[in-house]
Amino acid sequence: MIELCKSVERSSANPFDVDIREKIMVLKKRLPEWKFLDELLLDSEAMLELAQIVKLQDEWLKHRASSLYIDPLLIQLKVKVLPKDALVESFVRSWHPIVQVDQISPKGLEKAFVYWRDLGTMSERFKDEFGTYGVRPGTIGYEELIELGVFTGDEFDKRLKDLMAELAAGSNGEWIDYRAFIHSDSFEQTVLRAYLLAFLISDGKASLRTDPLTGNIWTMALREKAGGVPKSVAISVIGEA
Amino acid sequence: MESQEKALLDRKVRKAFQVLVLQRGRNPGVKGWELKRHLGRDFRKIVQVLSEDVSSLGLEVFEVKGVDGTDDSSRFLLRFRDSPTITEAETSGIRIDDLAVLAATIAFINSKQGRTSRRETEQFLREKFPKWRVEYSLDRYVKRGYLEQDDRTLLHIGWRTRAEVDEKTLMTMILSRGADEVPSPK
Repeated sequence: MIELCKSVERSSANPFDVDIREKIMVLKKRLPEWKFLDELLLDSEAMLELAQIVKLQDEWLKHRASSLYIDPLLIQLKVKVLPKDALVESFVRSWHPIVQVDQISPKGLEKAFVYWRDLGTMSERFKDEFGTYGVRPGTIGYEELIELGVFTGDEFDKRLKDLMAELAAGSNGEWIDYRAFIHSDSFEQTVLRAYLLAFLISDGKASLRTDPLTGNIWTMALREKAGGVPKSVAISVIGEA
Repeated sequence: MESQEKALLDRKVRKAFQVLVLQRGRNPGVKGWELKRHLGRDFRKIVQVLSEDVSSLGLEVFEVKGVDGTDDSSRFLLRFRDSPTITEAETSGIRIDDLAVLAATIAFINSKQGRTSRRETEQFLREKFPKWRVEYSLDRYVKRGYLEQDDRTLLHIGWRTRAEVDEKTLMTMILSRGADEVPSPK
């Protein structure tokens, strides 16, 4: 009963859909059965909600009796089909803007000054509500990964060697598609292969070529370690974890 | 004696104008009890004289009845006696598209017996206006008092609409317009 009343209050449903007389009879019939405080509190809450519905029924009747009552469907249809200009003109013709003077007094100015002077920083003000800010996205190094237990030193070296062998066999002195090479069944594995390959490239054991126009990226294993100044290339790996 | 009374009346009318035109607090206008404090028990008479005086400037004193309907709870404010033109409305800083949203919202709420859920209103308005404009405009009009939103997210007509908009005229105008009608020149 409480939920029914609340749902009518929350929506624009017709409050006369609730049969007040029937609900009160139910409450009256059940009243002798209530023994515990919780039950009695619920009973009084139900009565309160029924009273709210009666209030809504009163407002509903007053509105329908007023000259503002027009068939809802008709007015909604009219609003839908009317051009915006016509709506604006209708509004402006019935509009009488309020006249007032906005000013700030010396006292108001002083109040504003004190407010801004004493206002804490955003991070302080919202600390209780949102907590401290999290760490921004950044880079994580090999040592940190070992510390975190993601890799052991031996495992990492072995994986690097395996990937190098795979790249050497796959490219065989030719450029091969970077994305096809790092692609794996799962997103995590794809990211891991991209991460390991970045190590090989940084180490000069593999090379990378990009075409900014097409967005294609190629990679290749090098027979001899590359020299010269290394360049940074940012590549996004997209997928779902 | 008569001139003394006239001087007193003039002084009270001036005081009434100052009290009404200067904003105190968040909302414009002055409550009945406040006017009574400034002007005395016969404040209604003073307000009436003021309303006649400012009519030459195209203004009037308007009363918005309070919840209990008493003099004390009524809000009195100065407003335009006649409606502005569309060009004047445009120069007041309000976007015409926003006014269209407000007109549609008031009409929709009235068609729903004076209250409707915010979600339902947004769904209705989105058929005519972009989503971002609907949300932005509704928030803005709730903040400015044209609409009221209660804790159950039900929208009602706000005190400012009651003060500034002749709802009956608005509804009649909307109903009397044809869909293919070209708006009259500004």
